[in-house]
Amino acid sequence: MSKLSSFLIRALALPPAYTGTALLLLAAAWLRPNLLSPMLLLLILRQAAPLGIAAMGQSLVMRGRSLDLSAGGVIAAVAYLLTSGALPLSEPLALLLCLLLGAAVGAFNGLLVVGVRASAVIVTLSVSMILSGIVIALSQFHAPGDAPQLLRELARTRWLGLPLPVLGWAALLLPAAWLMRRSVYGRAMDAIGANPRAAELSGLPHLRVVFIAHLASGLLSALSGFVLLGFVGVGSVNLGAELALNSLAAAILGGVNFGSGRGGMLGPAVAAFMLALLFNFLTSLGLGEASRLMLQGAIIGAAAWAYAWRHRGSGQH
Amino acid sequence: MSTTIRSGLSRYTLGLPLLLVLGLLASNADFRQPQNLLNFGGQIAALLIAALGQLFVTLLGGIDLSVGAVMSLSSCLLAVQPDPLWGVLFALGLGLAVGLLNGVGVALAGVHPLVMTLSTATFLQGLAHVVLPIPGGRIAPALTHAASGTWLGLPHSLLWCGAAVAGVAWLLNRSRLGLHFYAVGGQARSAYLNGVNARALVVLAYMACSLLAAVAGIYLTGRVAAGDPALGSAFALESVAAVALGGVQLTGGAGSVTGVVAGALSLGLLTNGLNLFGVSPFMRAVLTGCLLLAAVSVQRRRIVGM
Amino acid sequence: MDHPQAGQAAPRVLLRQVSKRFGSTAALQQVSLAGAAGSIHAVTGENGAGKSTLMKLLAGVHAPDEGEIFIDGVAVRLASPAAARRLGVSTVFQELTVLPNLSVAENLCLGREPLSARMLDRGAMRRQAEAVLARAGISLAPHRACRELSIGEQQMLEIAKGLAAEARIFIFDEPTAPLNRAEVDRLERLLLALKAQGKLIFYISHRLEEIFRFCDTVSVLKDGQHVCTQASAALNPDRLVSLMVGRELQQLFPPRAAERPGAALLHARGLQVGEARAGQDLTLRAGEIVGMAGLEGQGQRELLRALAGLARPRAGSIELIDELGRAHAVQHRHGAAQAVRQGVALMPEDRKAEGLYLDLPIQDNIWLGRLRGTRLWQRARRDPALITRLAERMQMRSAPALAVGALSGGNQQKVMLGRWLASGVRVLLVEQPTRGVDVGAKAEIYGLLRQFVAEGGTVLAVSGDLPELIGLCDRILVLRQGAIVGTMAGAAASEEGLLALALQERPAQAGIPSSQVQEA
Repeated sequence: MSKLSSFLIRALALPPAYTGTALLLLAAAWLRPNLLSPMLLLLILRQAAPLGIAAMGQSLVMRGRSLDLSAGGVIAAVAYLLTSGALPLSEPLALLLCLLLGAAVGAFNGLLVVGVRASAVIVTLSVSMILSGIVIALSQFHAPGDAPQLLRELARTRWLGLPLPVLGWAALLLPAAWLMRRSVYGRAMDAIGANPRAAELSGLPHLRVVFIAHLASGLLSALSGFVLLGFVGVGSVNLGAELALNSLAAAILGGVNFGSGRGGMLGPAVAAFMLALLFNFLTSLGLGEASRLMLQGAIIGAAAWAYAWRHRGSGQH
Repeated sequence: MSTTIRSGLSRYTLGLPLLLVLGLLASNADFRQPQNLLNFGGQIAALLIAALGQLFVTLLGGIDLSVGAVMSLSSCLLAVQPDPLWGVLFALGLGLAVGLLNGVGVALAGVHPLVMTLSTATFLQGLAHVVLPIPGGRIAPALTHAASGTWLGLPHSLLWCGAAVAGVAWLLNRSRLGLHFYAVGGQARSAYLNGVNARALVVLAYMACSLLAAVAGIYLTGRVAAGDPALGSAFALESVAAVALGGVQLTGGAGSVTGVVAGALSLGLLTNGLNLFGVSPFMRAVLTGCLLLAAVSVQRRRIVGM
Repeated sequence: MDHPQAGQAAPRVLLRQVSKRFGSTAALQQVSLAGAAGSIHAVTGENGAGKSTLMKLLAGVHAPDEGEIFIDGVAVRLASPAAARRLGVSTVFQELTVLPNLSVAENLCLGREPLSARMLDRGAMRRQAEAVLARAGISLAPHRACRELSIGEQQMLEIAKGLAAEARIFIFDEPTAPLNRAEVDRLERLLLALKAQGKLIFYISHRLEEIFRFCDTVSVLKDGQHVCTQASAALNPDRLVSLMVGRELQQLFPPRAAERPGAALLHARGLQVGEARAGQDLTLRAGEIVGMAGLEGQGQRELLRALAGLARPRAGSIELIDELGRAHAVQHRHGAAQAVRQGVALMPEDRKAEGLYLDLPIQDNIWLGRLRGTRLWQRARRDPALITRLAERMQMRSAPALAVGALSGGNQQKVMLGRWLASGVRVLLVEQPTRGVDVGAKAEIYGLLRQFVAEGGTVLAVSGDLPELIGLCDRILVLRQGAIVGTMAGAAASEEGLLALALQERPAQAGIPSSQVQEA
């Protein structure tokens, strides 16, 4: 019995995403075994890609003790630009422009957070509000339409049996993980998260590191918008509205907290998959939107609670 | 007065609503109509009450995103409960219970306030949809009267606002508990070593916040005379915006009721003005966002990030 | 346990066989200690000896895992600082607990605010504050915001707050670290007054001169165990140190440099900081340790931080000279990053807040120094061999994967020093090299600093501990109002001479032959 309890203790020390996924898979095996087919799991993974990509940016920013809640606004803007026909450009060029927009938004956030030292919560929320507001207002003149053919194709394609969005996600994730573990940037970020003042005094480029994180987050938000748009097929003003807060939940469930990157880059990715799996599992049980929301809230709360409880005392000084 | 040390007020916090009032008075005749001014109180009452609740939590460096969901669920409870007294008691009880849950999670378990209140909000939002799937229901006339009636020519909304402002101001500025709030917000560990029960205070703050959110929900339900599971959806962010515009430091330790009133006024004047000028309501979001950016850019802080 | 006053009455405080563990570390093992009424009782030992932990048990911050605590013969449970206060224990902690966003009066009354009609009585608060401040001899306006006070003023406020409590037992944990001499004298008078009233005062300190000056009893702890308790009259400093360290400490300070200092590494010309009326010239040479003395708040900190590129001076220029003899200007626009890249680093006074990454392991804290001079996109090369060698050289016995937050003060200071030793900087600017560091670690740190300069570096150390400067440094600058008013060679310096310069007395008046002093 003590072997089991020591296993449980070590399992609880892992970010909630891992144990959560395991528990979900067990529950699915019990109640909805057909959910566990590799085909379906792959589709769920594909569905998780936008959240996973956004969660990457969020965890990057959080490790620097900041926050990015502007994903909703960026995605709305990107979706609008690509679907409303307001930009008479070729598809690849329009995509590039949207990437630049994402980077520009990230840079703006970063400048305010780093240069003016404004609160990241307010800055990124305001930027999101502004972008969404502009999109909604403009939608009265040019309504959003169908997603670009290119994106819809890319969303459907498979390569070596794996959906392209998943491969794209992995193609972003692996270099990012290497970057955070092996590069000077990643190690500097560890220090800055642990003690920003000491990092400054030690000569580490605190401001530049946080700024780059925000820039990257904006870019990643735009990319997740592409994938999301490819799935949904049509532009909609509400596209990605919940993504900002969900990416926050995914980051935390993945073991990344403000100033600490204990979960690495993999944790939030697993958490994104877990959230998508949860959504599908609850839907397959026939639960409506309301019950799904309740369970989702309860599970995220319980997971965060268990993880925080396990790690309380460390990080307090 | 020692409370000015930590009021967070600056010429911008107080100047903004003043500027808006003067601007609107000068440029729009409809603004000056007594009907408009009387309505105004009703428009901002819910926001003001919710923002006062948010003030408690923000003074301690936290944030409560479940404010909107509490409002929505209160509304649904009132719609399905025919007896207004029981309905109000349920709603208030809900506020206290949610606040207790949030507070214990943040103070004892150490969950980050954003995550804790977000999960609570999601849960409660779902519950609201279960209790009342479609907006409607029957709201007792007593409640509608309490929200929208008048007394001696003054709209009840002003009384609600006045009572909330007076109560919270008394608590924060005049009571021992209020001083302890500021102490814990300033430096929780130091406050603890000085004999203040920091954790209990955090729990109390979240309970006060959710309680006031329930009160705001009760008021708003009476005013619109219907239950609505999406009643409070904008209020989580709006209450944070009002608090931020009011000069309250989001890291804790500085803020005041005056500031929150100023912030709520600014937002209310903005909406009112946009309505009167016939500007698209979506521009409101844009303008609010710009105002917020300006407001936080003015707050000089040492720390970078959150 | 030998106790000098084997009186009939129960001791004011008795801690009996108390133990306390933090995780896997045993901070206290079956310690028994008794304190008598009307006594100033020193509790001393190396860092990590457990003295702070022991007193925190009495202060209600921690609960003992084993053992009991008795106050006036009655067993008590101290569940929180508030509970301890109710039982008559008042504590002045080592960490400042002054709340920056409250006023002086509010801070003094916190926890026992006067009420009238359930409302805060601000008039009574002000009067109470004035009374407390007057009694402690401190002149501070009650309405001032505490964030505006200097560290010394905040500490005096802490002490006043501790004294104001109607307590029978007082605990002072390293109260004099940020105080100047006048303030220490005032504290001594206050403590003696309390003793005359029959109170018991536990006084945790490293400062031997204070222990022997006004404490009547001394208890020594080592490695979480009680070594002995004796009347201070029965001890002398050397014996006390050997009890603390557990061995005869032959030599605290390594021998000074035999050779003349080498090439100049840093030139400051016309440097004007803070309230200084004129610019200062300063040169640091390879192979020497320079000390900076002076009364508190005379501009030492500002000068040091200006040299480190952290603070903007009002006027003047700073040059660093690299290995090839080229001069580089240090510009403050770029902050510490440029200065570190050019080879000058600061070791801040507050190592927990400004110097160390408490959540990260020892190896990371040290290794981060190797990032100096690298670009963000480069690969960060690990070098475990270097860390091991450095740890050995610094005589650090803790596992490299241990989080720095769990270390004792001395080890933490060594980790911070280790980072800069690993980084290759040649100029080290140190604020309070051994604050909160026990005697054994002090000797090791002095040795490391001496090795650093022997290998071609230079050190400028600001310290309030004059014997430390005299023992360690090759030459000592004395600062007054931002100006260097004199220089003394370390070998010829004395405390009286340095103080005389700091107070701007003529050296002849102070009985110092003027040949010993070089006035600037």
